[in-house]
Amino acid sequence: MADAPVQPQRALSRRGVERLDLLLLSAEALDLNGGEAMVWLSEEMGLTELFPNRVELWKRRCSNPLRRTTRRDRITEAEADGLIRILNALADRLYPMLRSLLSSAEPPQLSEQRWALFRGRLQELLKERFNPRRGGVQRLLDPQEGPQLCRELIQTMALSAGPGGFTRLKASLMDAAA
Amino acid sequence: MKLTSRYEQTSCRLVLEGLPDLSAGQSSQTIGILTGFSLALAGKTELEGQRDHLQALLNVVLPYARGLISGVARPQGAQDVPVVIRPVDGQHELELRSSQPNTPPLRLPLDDAELSDLVRCLDRLQLDPQVAVPLEWPAPQPLRRSELRHRLPLARRVAAPLTGIAALLVAGVLASLLPTPKPPSSAPAAVSTPSRGG
Repeated sequence: MADAPVQPQRALSRRGVERLDLLLLSAEALDLNGGEAMVWLSEEMGLTELFPNRVELWKRRCSNPLRRTTRRDRITEAEADGLIRILNALADRLYPMLRSLLSSAEPPQLSEQRWALFRGRLQELLKERFNPRRGGVQRLLDPQEGPQLCRELIQTMALSAGPGGFTRLKASLMDAAA
Repeated sequence: MKLTSRYEQTSCRLVLEGLPDLSAGQSSQTIGILTGFSLALAGKTELEGQRDHLQALLNVVLPYARGLISGVARPQGAQDVPVVIRPVDGQHELELRSSQPNTPPLRLPLDDAELSDLVRCLDRLQLDPQVAVPLEWPAPQPLRRSELRHRLPLARRVAAPLTGIAALLVAGVLASLLPTPKPPSSAPAAVSTPSRGG
């Protein structure tokens, strides 16, 4: 059976680009080699025309307005699809880790340690690359609100993994502005 | 010849059994007619059903997962359908209603990991070229503004309009405190001077 297409076809909103880049950053926080894995997966999936090298890949991610160094040019639909495909493949590779974070069957102490490790790495990456004056970044760094937002990121990644993940995530990134 | 197709993901196992629909020109290795399916969710009862039950399951689970990926956990399934899914205490509850009278519904709690395992199994079934059973797959669609509204806490949603109204009221009160400018004394005289022309 064919993969159901997402309709209508259009580019991502500003909020969609923010979420997509945050999810890619979460993949980097889960996997220390996440940045390299992205470049490798992009080549593996034949996306070299869209992202010829790691600098181009990084430049596309910098369309995120939450970044310290943000680029004003909008990301095209083909580029957004390429980044969603990379995230889909990364989430698939990381699925066992995502699953163990989300599972309530894991020992609570071990689970809490894993969450603390993920949140710590994500916060380091956020402080390094994102603009700390933006509300969206502050909420992620907030000790009260941050943990719930981190859980939402991991849940989104888990549901973005696998064969149906691409269309589901793409539809979600094209949500109306809340 | 009976064919089976299995989809396994940690806590979930979905097995389809069926026959090839040779009259529709399908290969002898493709399940075209579903004779039954079974679904085992970790530590819970193994469920069995027919095509209608499988359709009812994916009709609620996939839109629920679609909402969840946008941070919106909305119950799925009407009063009269055999399968319903809803959020309960930060987890999820799958309710299966029997078609037999006087049989209470079966409620299965699922955590986030078990739900995503189930979703992955359904995704793999959807894209399996060896299965050509007529099933309708809900296509994921972007959510509308009204569907996303309750994602934001009430305080943050009403903050902007309330600030606007408060600012308007303060500006109005301040404006009413300003003295009204007196009309220039010479102006009325000039206006009231009758012109006697002609």
